[in-house]
Formats: sequence, structure tokens, C-alpha cells
Amino acid sequence: MKPDLKVNIAGVEFANPLMTASGCCGYGEELADIFPLAKLGALVTKSISLNPRLGHPPPRTAEVRSGMLNAIGLANVGIEKFISDKIPFLDKQPTKIIVNVAGSKLAEYVEVCSKLNDFESVSMIELNISCPNVDEGGMEFGSDPVMTEKSLKAVKKVFDRPIIAKLSPNVTSIVEIAKAAEQGGADAFSVINSLVGMAVDAESWHTKITNNKGGLTGPAIKPVALQMVHAVYSHSSLPIIGIGGIQSTTDVIEFLLCGATAVQIGTALFKDPMLFIKIEKELLQYMKRKKCNTIYDLIGKVRKY
Amino acid sequence: MIKPTCDDTILEKKRNLKNRYFSFTFKPFSLVKKCKPGHFVQLELPNTDIYFRRPFSIASVTSDGDIEIIFKIFGKGTALLAELAKGGTVNLLGPLGKSFTFPKKNEQTIIIAGGVGFPPLMYLAVEMIAKGYNPKSIHFFYGGRTTDDIIEKSRIKKLGVNFYPVTEDGSYGTKGLVTKPVEEFIQSSDSKMRIYSCGPTGMLKAADSLGLKYSVPGQLSLEAPMPCGVGICLGCVVEKNDGTHARVCCDGPIFEIGEIKL
Repeated sequence: MKPDLKVNIAGVEFANPLMTASGCCGYGEELADIFPLAKLGALVTKSISLNPRLGHPPPRTAEVRSGMLNAIGLANVGIEKFISDKIPFLDKQPTKIIVNVAGSKLAEYVEVCSKLNDFESVSMIELNISCPNVDEGGMEFGSDPVMTEKSLKAVKKVFDRPIIAKLSPNVTSIVEIAKAAEQGGADAFSVINSLVGMAVDAESWHTKITNNKGGLTGPAIKPVALQMVHAVYSHSSLPIIGIGGIQSTTDVIEFLLCGATAVQIGTALFKDPMLFIKIEKELLQYMKRKKCNTIYDLIGKVRKY
Repeated sequence: MIKPTCDDTILEKKRNLKNRYFSFTFKPFSLVKKCKPGHFVQLELPNTDIYFRRPFSIASVTSDGDIEIIFKIFGKGTALLAELAKGGTVNLLGPLGKSFTFPKKNEQTIIIAGGVGFPPLMYLAVEMIAKGYNPKSIHFFYGGRTTDDIIEKSRIKKLGVNFYPVTEDGSYGTKGLVTKPVEEFIQSSDSKMRIYSCGPTGMLKAADSLGLKYSVPGQLSLEAPMPCGVGICLGCVVEKNDGTHARVCCDGPIFEIGEIKL
């Protein structure tokens, strides 16, 4: 019997637990040219803000050991253009669409989410309350439990379908923020956003990106992400989408074992844009070998000392 | 955009071109027939802790699956690549980016190459000649610091193009900066012309200014650190003169003269 890759997050069914991470697949058009998007459980768009954003000037990325540092600066077309230019394309895609929403004021989050409510093809919203790269990137919402609860409550009022709270690792207690998000009505968590970091050139004495600090992603952050997924899983019954340095099938399995129902892959796509095809195949092989009939046979099954 | 392929290829031929320049020919690359001058490939460095692929413009392809890149050792990535032994396996993603638009048949082609920027321009000249352009309508200006920076001299000469090497120290060809003889050529010509340039930023800037000053259209091939190469990371953007950003990897690397803030 072929193992079943389907997962259900807050009532939305996904063909498999594999998703793109926000900011690593644009609005899907480029990836659709490279591999069939039907291979994805869901496509998570770049962060969309109320107004268009040019983003930071280059250089915006720096390669670091086992990963990258980036401060793109939430470059995006803004909600109006997203609706007119990008939604028609996303409507036609054979995968679930999750739109990531960023803002600098609560009213902005609310306005963007309320506009997205009209588009049935948007299965869920992922609320970015944790971008470390712009001063107004929402991190103040995601690092304070009171603000977290308040923002979730506000967007839940204007968007009928499930909302995922994307949590920041740059906090004292991610569990505390997760609880606040749950209190505010979050339906699921994405764990984690990037870690704040810095890269410096010893010859020129210069920081390597124009924003000076940026978000660290890639395999370097995987152990941090695994621990945080497990911590949130241990304190909440809401489904978790695990994110952080996934670049192989083994990595996906580790996240599932720590409590994730699905995973997002980002930075590794830059190295191998066709990675999803390989992982889907290998995941099925692994499940057969381990006699797992469904993904649920793996979720949270980590054996601890 | 051409749907790229991701092929494991073998390093078939390795040539040390002196002065830290190398020519590597990989085989088999399944999309050689889709490759055009200006396209590039993203090469995965095998067995290293270097995370991202490295972009290289295509220097030549053959119909039986050979694809050649020419590079200079600049940093850790290229140094490791230079150590790769013949017969080694390398994964290539490509062809990527936009290619050069060929000139009109009545135009004189001015190629301005600098240092390691010459491979896509040599590829352009080769393809133009294969398409029936008169080699004598191609004016290949090639600048470098010394004679050691002018790579594949005999290969370019063999094409039958007008070859104008220029070195800063006068050790080969005309002494000085390449842009001076280019400007003299433009001033003395009555024909319609088109510029193609690839090289260091200073040279691209000069080529851009010359094009704008004398109303000669043309294209520049840009380079940028490039995490993905397929348009999804937004890491390689450059500023355009209209205030917006362009991704070097997929809105370029070929841009029109006057388009980019250099």
C-alpha cells in the first residue's frame, strides 16, 4: 500500500506536508517554470504588505557557513497589485495557496487580511509577526505576548479562514508567544522565522549587507528550529509547520518527529529549485521502510532520553 | 524563461589558461541546444561547505553536449573549483537568464570585453558568424591590465573578427584603457553600430556612457552574487535608472544600455 502523505491543518487538507517558505518562491511564477507546483502541499507567497515595498538596496544577501544571511527588506508588490496581477495566476495553480502577510501597524495587517478574505483560492493566511529585517517588520508584534494576542484577534475578525502565526526565534520564550497567539485565535503556528545575525568582512572591515543585520537561514539554524518546534508542540495542541534549514528528506522527518505536521523549505531551494520532487519520492520510500501508513505515524514521535 | 535542467556532468576537459584563468568543459549537458550567448549556468561546488551554487556565463557549447565555462580564481569558491580533477562530477543548473539580442545585419558590432568578462562575448561572436554575419562587421575590443589578462587571443583571432587588444601597461596591443580606442572607432564610423559589453563595473560604466553619448544602442552583461539564479531569492537585484530594482539572474544578466544605474 502506498503511504498517505496527506495532512490536515485547521481543516485545510494538503496533498503532502511539503511547502515553500515565504520569501523563497516569489509569487510562484518562477518555480512553476521549473517544476509542477502540484508537487507542493502548499505554496506560501512572499510577505505581502499594504503598500508596495522596494526593499533594501543591494547587497541584500551574504553567504555564511552553512547558510545565508539576508535582509531583502520585505520587497513586494503591495496588496493591490498582488490582487490584480498575482492572484489570477495563483488561482489556477494545482496546489493550496497560503499568503504571508506583513505590516508595520495593526491597521495594515487588518486591511490586507480583509482584502484577501474575498479570494477563496487563499486557503490560509500566514501572519508574519516576526520579520527581523525591517524596523517596521512586525517583530514588535511577535515579541510581545500582549501585541501578539491583539493582532491575532484583530485579523481573525476580518478573515474567515484559518490563520497561521509565524513565530520568531528572537524572543526569550517562544512558548509564551505561542500561547498568546493561540489565545488570540491562531489556528496553527509556523516555527521558526529567521534568526537575527550579522556578517563582517575582516579585510574591508565592512558589514556584508546594507541593512547591517539580517536573518540567518539555512542548515545552520536547524537545531534551534527543531527545539522550538518541539517546545511549542509540547505546550499547545495546535498544528505546527516546521521551518529552519531543511535541505533533505531526513531533515523533513526530524521536524515531523519533533511535532511538526508540515514543513516549509526555503533557502535550500536556492541551491536546488527541484528539491521538492526528490523529497516527496524519498519520503514515500522512508515511510514504506518504516511501515508508516500516514504522516501522522511520525508527528511528535521523537524518542527522548 | 527556458525551463532549466539540473544535470550531473563530468569534467571532460580542463585547461589552465595561465594567470589563474581556467577553461572547464563539462559533458553531457542535456540542454546545449537551448543555450544562447549571454545565458549562464549555476554550478554546484562538490564536496565543500560552500552552500550556494556559483554562476558562470557560458563560453561555448557543442551539439554533442559539451558546455564550456571560463573563470578566474577570485575567491574560495573559484579556488576550490580550479582544484577539481578531470573526470569529476559537477551538477549544472541552466541555462539561466536572458540572452543577448543579435544585432541587425546592417550594424557594425562593437564588443567591449574586460578580463574574465570575455567568454559570453566570444560565444556571441561565434554564434553570429555561424548565423552568417560577416566576421569583419564584428569589432572585438578586449582590455586588460597586462598581456596575461587577454585570454584566448589566438582563439578570438581565428574567428576572423577585427581584434583590438588593449592593455594598461602596453604589454600587448594598444596601451591604455579599452574605452579610448572604442570611442575613436565610434567617432570615425558612419555606420549603424551596436555595443555589447561584459567586464568590470568601471568598464561597463564607460561602455554605458559611450552608448548614451553617441546614441549607440547595445547591451551589457552584469554580474552579481547570486544565491538562487532563478529569480526567487531577490538577492541579486541592481538599481535601475527608473528607481525600481531588477534581478540580475532573470531580468538580466543582459540589460540595455541606459537601463541600469551603474
